[in-house]
Amino acid sequence: MPEMRTSLEVIAPSVEEAIAQGVEELGLPEDELEVEVLDEGSKGFLGLGTRQVRVRLTVRIEEPPEEAPRVEVPPEMDDEEAVRIAHETVEELLHLMSIQAKVAAQWGELDPPGKIRPLLIDIRGDDLSILIGRRGETLTALQYITRLIVGKELKRPVAVVIDIEGYRARREGQLRRLARRIAEQAIETGRTMSLEPMPANERRIIHVELKDNPKVETISVGEGNHRKVTVIPQQEQ
Amino acid sequence: MKSLVEFIAKSLVDDPTEVVVTERHRQKDVLLLLTVAEEDMGRVIGRNGRVASAMRTLLRVAASRQGVRTSLDIVERG
Repeated sequence: MPEMRTSLEVIAPSVEEAIAQGVEELGLPEDELEVEVLDEGSKGFLGLGTRQVRVRLTVRIEEPPEEAPRVEVPPEMDDEEAVRIAHETVEELLHLMSIQAKVAAQWGELDPPGKIRPLLIDIRGDDLSILIGRRGETLTALQYITRLIVGKELKRPVAVVIDIEGYRARREGQLRRLARRIAEQAIETGRTMSLEPMPANERRIIHVELKDNPKVETISVGEGNHRKVTVIPQQEQ
Repeated sequence: MKSLVEFIAKSLVDDPTEVVVTERHRQKDVLLLLTVAEEDMGRVIGRNGRVASAMRTLLRVAASRQGVRTSLDIVERG
């Protein structure tokens, strides 16, 4: 099987920050990424000609065949244990936040680009908009804390995806349609198109949606809350 | 709110016995002070303060349910 690759270019003030941003955006640990410094940047002189660092992060999807086989699927007991821990953790967090809701947890399908099977947690209840927050901010925090707690308990990293009242699925559908529309516009006009600033998990949806489209390349630019995806049309070969 | 911070911190650190959360009230403001073992500071703060900021976000929900304002400080053991 040919080794498939997906890569992301990150522009940041330093190589460390570029890697940290890439790790967050791709949602994969640093040791699964190959780092290539494209531009070491320059401090400039008296603040003139300052250039940021440009780094390409490449995810190796297929393991090299010569490596020892990895234990990819955890044993059944561990499987059930993970679901139970995830369920209990979210219930406890909601209880302590005085939120009444129903929690369901299960293993998701193997996510093809990430080879990590996520734990899916579904939260249902009345008026949970407070738990979603502005641009999904509270949902993201809840998911992050849950991932850390469950990972700590199981002594191995896990992927956790929390959805509240179908918010994530709805938003993901919106973002995928938006990505395809913007890509079409970029190709048609031959111009680089910028999207609105988005959190890392939403930018990732855009990158993933367009990574197999050879006619465009996607790059995240900007700092912190202003970070956004730009879609760059590629010259036809 | 105190119990929320306690639960998260104790779940993330290597040494839960060293987790202490104290609560200070001033009218409608609640200040929570979290201390953990020195080796565990990084676990409750996180890279670029991401864990601390996620805890504060969840804390805000808990506080708004009770009609109070809250803030969380992670302090070095002194």
